[in-house]
Amino acid sequence: MASVELRDIRKSYGVLEVIHGVSLSIGEGEFIALVGPSGCGKSTLLRMIAGLEDITDGEVLIGGKVVNPLTPRERNIAMVFQSYALYPHMTVAENMGFNLKLSGLPKSEIDKRVGEAARMLALTELLDRKPSQLSGGQRQRVAMGRAIVRDPAVFLFDEPLSNLDAKLRVQMRTEIKALHQKVATTSIYVTHDQIEAMTLADRIVVLNGGRVEQVGTPLELYRTPANLFVAGFIGSPAMNVLDGTVEAADGEPAVRLRDGSAIRIAPERKVRLGQAVRIGLRPEHFVAGDKGNAIVGRTLLVEPTGAQTHVLFEFAGEQITAVVDGDHPARHGTLFKAAMDRSQVYVFDRQSGAAL
Amino acid sequence: MTDTTSSVRMITGTRLYLYVSLSLVAMLVLLPLVTTALGGFKSLGDLRVNPFGLPSEWLWSNYLDILFGDRYWRQMLNSLFIATVTVVLTVIVSAMAAFTFAHVKFFGANQLLNYFLIGLMFPAATAILPLFIRIRDLGLLDTYWGVILPQVAFGLGMSILLFRNYFRNLPEELFQAAFVDGCGYIRFFWHISMPLSRPIVSTVGIITFVHSWNSYILPLIMLNTEEKYPWPLGIMVYRGEFGTDWQLVLAFITLTILPTVIVFFLAQKHIIAGLTAGAVKS
Repeated sequence: MASVELRDIRKSYGVLEVIHGVSLSIGEGEFIALVGPSGCGKSTLLRMIAGLEDITDGEVLIGGKVVNPLTPRERNIAMVFQSYALYPHMTVAENMGFNLKLSGLPKSEIDKRVGEAARMLALTELLDRKPSQLSGGQRQRVAMGRAIVRDPAVFLFDEPLSNLDAKLRVQMRTEIKALHQKVATTSIYVTHDQIEAMTLADRIVVLNGGRVEQVGTPLELYRTPANLFVAGFIGSPAMNVLDGTVEAADGEPAVRLRDGSAIRIAPERKVRLGQAVRIGLRPEHFVAGDKGNAIVGRTLLVEPTGAQTHVLFEFAGEQITAVVDGDHPARHGTLFKAAMDRSQVYVFDRQSGAAL
Repeated sequence: MTDTTSSVRMITGTRLYLYVSLSLVAMLVLLPLVTTALGGFKSLGDLRVNPFGLPSEWLWSNYLDILFGDRYWRQMLNSLFIATVTVVLTVIVSAMAAFTFAHVKFFGANQLLNYFLIGLMFPAATAILPLFIRIRDLGLLDTYWGVILPQVAFGLGMSILLFRNYFRNLPEELFQAAFVDGCGYIRFFWHISMPLSRPIVSTVGIITFVHSWNSYILPLIMLNTEEKYPWPLGIMVYRGEFGTDWQLVLAFITLTILPTVIVFFLAQKHIIAGLTAGAVKS
């Protein structure tokens, strides 16, 4: 278990800079998720921490020691890959013990540590099988077992669940969380799936275009996004965004939308009259009915998911999604009325995207 | 309905064309082989009047005399030794070179690879005089090494190309996982790449073996002592001795062809797969 620190990390391919000075401190035993859309640099950053990618500028510290010139093995890290990357010609036991064998550990010690990891991951029965004889979930567990046996300072996960089907992904997510609670090793987890990041991580780092947009706990990011990008990325279904201008309605701040309707916003928002803004409305913050900040629109689509129903309706020339109770009698083509408390209306500067 | 009928007719037509052309090719290949094998069972008189038909009397003694003589087996062992050592050296050297070209970036890598690949364009026969001089200078004339080393050198171009394409197609994440596990290039080569390369090792091994087995010019130039002759040279000597007894020459040829045919049938899957894999320089 060790802390990890990134100091102004940069990565360039020729003249093209793809990571623009990322700094980050990760505490001992912390579980950090790096999230962002494809091409945001999250995997590149992870591979630089692992030592699989050269660092153009900046420093990576593991356990307080600069590791830039060290090989992945010398950094004492373990990595779980998206495609599992198991050695096809070796058995499960050989895969898990390969690193220990290269370290020159006696066979009895290798067997002991592989046995312990196998018990922890319910792989004992599969130790003599080859990877081709395992299911996707079992392979992923072997990949994690291979990481555990080394007792590394840091676990690195590179989208480890993206090759699994939806059900298995949820199951493995739980297993990873349980595993981290058991071994408490510092973990850095790359994913583009914000649900995975929210459920697993102690803190989330949202990356966009090679820059950190925001770092915080899952709920901090959800409740107080620093900007429009984070607000749109965290939360599912995604936040609804509408353009408007700040006005005063009945002496209170409101945002006048393109169609002339007004949405009241919390008085503590740092806005000025006439400011061009964007408001963000989380689908799950809508309450069916017309109390308070009510909006009305024609229903375009109704998606029942069981406990909840997603209603897509037209408002102010935009398509808005609302998540309402599963029993709500919304029907295609009818008028849908929903309201939202003004304290839950997010406001962003239209030009910079910063939260106001 | 009409569409279905016409497509069925088209498939039948294509099939028929395929079968006829394949049968013609098969006949072209098999006719000399079968004629040679049958010729070995005939008497000289029978062979003269009936060169293509079945023997009027099956003379097994033609084959048995060769099989019970020591010349056939000695030459087979010579061929076997030369081909086996050639295969082992070619596989080791070309696999290591190809691994370097596939995974290690260094200045002039492409130029060096192209230099090796130029070797594909020149058969050994085109360089026979300088080769002879070099082998003589090295004191390897009339030794097995005088045949083996040039064969390995001329086999490297093709073998490196096949190995390199195979190594490049191994998943990148496998390399990274091994790197994280503590492998350097050498350990990755021995512990991961080579165990996963059995198909391409078989392909390169078989192609090199067959090439060496059939090699005639190099042994002819480099070897002087008859005791060291491999089969292709042995056939020529045998023909010189029994030039009038064509039935014996045909029996000898048949017996030398047989092992290659058997090996090809056993390993044709690997040979074809390997040749297709190396079809394109990527």
